[in-house]
Amino acid sequence: MEILAYILISTGLIFFLGTTIGLLRFPDFYSRMHAAGKGDTLSTVVILLGCICIVSTQGGMNWLLGLKILLIINFIFIGSPTATHAMMDAGKKAGAEPWRKDSK
Amino acid sequence: MPSLPIWEFDVLLLVLVVLFALISLSIRNLMGAAIVFGAYSFMMCLIWAGMGAVDVAFTEAAVGAGVSTVFIVSTIYNTSATMQNKPGGLTFKLFIGLVVTLTGAFLLSALPDFPEWGDSESPANAVVAPYYIKNTITDAHVPNVVTSVLADYRGFDTLLETTVVFIACIAIYSILRTETAKSKTDEPEEEIAVLPSYDPSDSLIVRQASRFMIPFMQLFALYVIAHGHYSPGGGFQGGVILGASLILLAISFDLKFLLGHWSEKSLMLLVASGVFLYAAVGLACVFMGGNYLDYVVLDPILPGKGDMARSHGILLVEIGVGITVMFSMVAIHINLASNGRFDRGL
Amino acid sequence: MENLIANFNYVIVVILMMIGLWAMLAQKNLIKKCIGMAIFQTGIILFFISIGAKNEAKVPILSKFVAENPPAIIVNDYANPLTQILMLTAIVVGVSTLGVGLAIVQKIYLEYGAIEENEILARIDSEDE
Repeated sequence: MEILAYILISTGLIFFLGTTIGLLRFPDFYSRMHAAGKGDTLSTVVILLGCICIVSTQGGMNWLLGLKILLIINFIFIGSPTATHAMMDAGKKAGAEPWRKDSK
Repeated sequence: MPSLPIWEFDVLLLVLVVLFALISLSIRNLMGAAIVFGAYSFMMCLIWAGMGAVDVAFTEAAVGAGVSTVFIVSTIYNTSATMQNKPGGLTFKLFIGLVVTLTGAFLLSALPDFPEWGDSESPANAVVAPYYIKNTITDAHVPNVVTSVLADYRGFDTLLETTVVFIACIAIYSILRTETAKSKTDEPEEEIAVLPSYDPSDSLIVRQASRFMIPFMQLFALYVIAHGHYSPGGGFQGGVILGASLILLAISFDLKFLLGHWSEKSLMLLVASGVFLYAAVGLACVFMGGNYLDYVVLDPILPGKGDMARSHGILLVEIGVGITVMFSMVAIHINLASNGRFDRGL
Repeated sequence: MENLIANFNYVIVVILMMIGLWAMLAQKNLIKKCIGMAIFQTGIILFFISIGAKNEAKVPILSKFVAENPPAIIVNDYANPLTQILMLTAIVVGVSTLGVGLAIVQKIYLEYGAIEENEILARIDSEDE
């Protein structure tokens, strides 16, 4: 179970790395938000799943703790994409130009 | 060289905190400064959690990274100001530099007098704090020492701090609040021009998501208040989270929507009633023949066997704190967001 | 020098207080001044928490086993709760005072139409003439 936890947490860290690179390297606002929104949500969820695995090996009343982490995952799953959507929408209304191949 | 008494992780975070503080002050974009300040608060909260101060970290995560960022952003929105970089004269800069360096030197010169970091025998740790830790169970039956010190041993402190929050709320009312009718005649159509280019209440997704999340936020906040005896939490944290849920409602829907449910008058009455509940519990103790805020004498009128009265008294007091903090956060947000007009805003 | 490393927390506290003081004095923008005030305040809170921290200490919440056997409590296992509650209330009071400061900023903007110190002073001067 612990090995599974470490695998999950390192996967999450790899996704975080991808998110960061995408945030820095993508050319325009929309693709950057795309990287941030998707990668951030997925990696946080995967890391928290790893935390559940660690917690559940300790026995006792710790399944309750795992349940709470599951609830956190639920809210990140709802909250993070909504925030991304709101920012995208705001960017569109503020007139951010999408990047095209022929633009400089 | 002595081995570092703090973790390497802490050292990294402490350096990061200083960097974030400098960035948030030197960045030209005010909105960016507000966001970086939120990140600064969050780093600070991690440091405190590392030092074992989970209650403080919890409060800072709810207040510093959440509510105060909203306050700063709504001020930026209402002043619609951009920052101009007009540096002062050279003498001015030299003077400021001198003052700051002198202050820092004075403070640093006191450094050798401090006890070692983490010294459990230092005066702050050795005199009164052990009493609280040893006696919290026998006195109050509350395993979370922070809660029992907050509401029982140091109840006067907390009562007056709650009053300060209440007074700050009143101060903001008296500074900002203007009559809507009056402001309509004073500045007629000009206000329409500064309507935001983006309004979150346009978006169905944002509205539905917050509609889904707000009940759970409030449930969690109530859990934090009620379970504060056994886990990190209490009136301040739960109150701030409850306030934040209503602030989310105001942002994602409309200020009018919120004010339709909580009128201005009831908001202020509730802010006052929290402090009143706290003070009334103290007065009840006096009427039952004890000292002010000495919950033991409340035993006959509170449920539970024997010596649980102090535990229940703490819960009552925490509920009072929660009500005051919740509604003062909401009232401060409404005032700051609508510039005191209470009609529309962030 | 050894003292500096051993008390690294306090050094950071002093640096944060210097940054906050510099911001409150030198920044022309009133919102930046408010942020500086908040930074000064968090520096002080960090100072108190550092004083209350102990090596090898846990959070000040007694476990179930210890709570049922009060004589088994070892004081040095728990961080100092006193400094923590002082700072807990200070944070909430701090956000209220930040709100008061921001309210004053908004009022100044309503009155003078600017939140930069030089502009406000210039407008006050021009009103006097």
